[in-house]
Amino acid sequence: MTNSNQTLAIKEQLQACRSKEETFKTLVTLSKKLPRLSAEEKIEEYKVKGCESAVWLITEETNNIRHFKADSDAKLMRGVLVAVLSLVEGKTIAEIQAIELTNKLVELNLSSYLTSSRTNGVLAILKKIASN
Amino acid sequence: MAFDPSSLRHLFPILSLQANDHPLIYLDNAATTQKPLLVLDAIQHYYRNNNANVHRGAHFLSNRATNHFEQARETIARFINAPEQSHVIWSKGTTEAINIVAFGLEHLLEKGDEILITSLEHHANLVPWQQLAFRTGARLRVLPLTSNGEWEDEFSQYFSHRTRIFAATQVSNAIGVSTPLQMMLNYAKQQGAFTLVDGAQAVAHYSVDVQALDCDFYVFSGHKMYGPTGIGALYGKNHALEVLIPYQTGGEMVRKVSYQATEFNILPYRLEAGTPNIEGAIGLAAACDFLCNQDRSALLKWEQSLASHVYSRLHRETNIEIYSPEKNTTLVSLSVPNIHILDLNAYLDSQGIGVRAGSHCAQPLMAQLGVVGTLRASFACYNTMEEADRFCNVLLEAIDLLLDDE
Repeated sequence: MTNSNQTLAIKEQLQACRSKEETFKTLVTLSKKLPRLSAEEKIEEYKVKGCESAVWLITEETNNIRHFKADSDAKLMRGVLVAVLSLVEGKTIAEIQAIELTNKLVELNLSSYLTSSRTNGVLAILKKIASN
Repeated sequence: MAFDPSSLRHLFPILSLQANDHPLIYLDNAATTQKPLLVLDAIQHYYRNNNANVHRGAHFLSNRATNHFEQARETIARFINAPEQSHVIWSKGTTEAINIVAFGLEHLLEKGDEILITSLEHHANLVPWQQLAFRTGARLRVLPLTSNGEWEDEFSQYFSHRTRIFAATQVSNAIGVSTPLQMMLNYAKQQGAFTLVDGAQAVAHYSVDVQALDCDFYVFSGHKMYGPTGIGALYGKNHALEVLIPYQTGGEMVRKVSYQATEFNILPYRLEAGTPNIEGAIGLAAACDFLCNQDRSALLKWEQSLASHVYSRLHRETNIEIYSPEKNTTLVSLSVPNIHILDLNAYLDSQGIGVRAGSHCAQPLMAQLGVVGTLRASFACYNTMEEADRFCNVLLEAIDLLLDDE
């Protein structure tokens, strides 16, 4: 879905945000890059627990390489998913597990999505992405 | 003269904070209110001058602590017009108070008995009754109320001679509507049911008179009425409290203990096991003093005028659905089709505005309304008309930014 150039572009866009408002607007823009899942793909099995907005995450693995598809009913969450998946798409599980995903999200000005509140399931998403 | 919130904003130091580079606008008062200096000072004063365990040591500080603690109980009793201070039981809050009653009445319930609640209840006034029904074989019934606080079908059919408990909220936390409480209580009493009123959303706004309501139990939390968290009260009529089996036992609630048996203490102590939340009680009494020193009807009018102002500005917008009533409420609960409430919430937050987005612990009600959740702006006496307008402006901006162009 993303190559390293796109990853870099996403990183630069988010790091340039100087306020929550700018991050909000950037995430809205990024959200449009996420291909939506079909109704058949939005099933309970793929639902990430712990998110107040509904989030679905599908992991496929071929030749040890992981590919991800995801969706959410909330737009900002779709923007966050674009950012998160740009860090892990097309990598092996060993490579993914070596990435400190929470630190990466802090670097991207997304730390407020990592607080362990009821309204936040990003940590649950990260856990699912990096699970064996 | 109209009430001016600037006359008391300075009593709430937290309101001068900046949030995300904007002046904080706090509109999540139905979740918890901010605390006036009077409350903060009372708690600090207690620890600086009066701290000791209560009802125990016969020494200088213990006597002082006990006096202040029991004076706090008296203040709460006056606040809700309870006839005796021994009818006021301290609890952690509304949830614990309802659990004290739900467990305490269990021994009186039989299979086939009925517990009746309304469709506007917070989970706190639903789950304890549902679980009680599971344990006893009683049947949980739900009286359907519309979002206007009116009843849908023939009201009386929900009350029967099997109705043993009737529990209802005074004001819905999710949509702000007042229930037809007195009428429901009358029906319940005719059937000889125990009656419990959840006053969590009412006490900050309305003067409460438990004797006029004539309910068996009235419960509320301190933190939603300018008091501290972790403290609330269970009021009960004497005979109603007397039949409750204590759901917690231990120290403080006993009179005589041997290995063979325990004799429980008298009310209110019988239902207050363990060292109580002394600072909380004192802080809550200070919150009552704060409220009683205000012109409460002027405060209520002001809060309602903020909500109806927001209602009148937003209900004209074709893409906004409002679930709270137009008048006689202190909050506005809404959603925007095709935009997630969390997205709206995130933009409001980025502008320093704190509201609540979610199911408001009322998932069955949300299902009835056909939404996952709503965005709720709830007002307190310190909120200004400028804040109400800024909420509307920023919400409309958010809708512009989020409306789908995909």
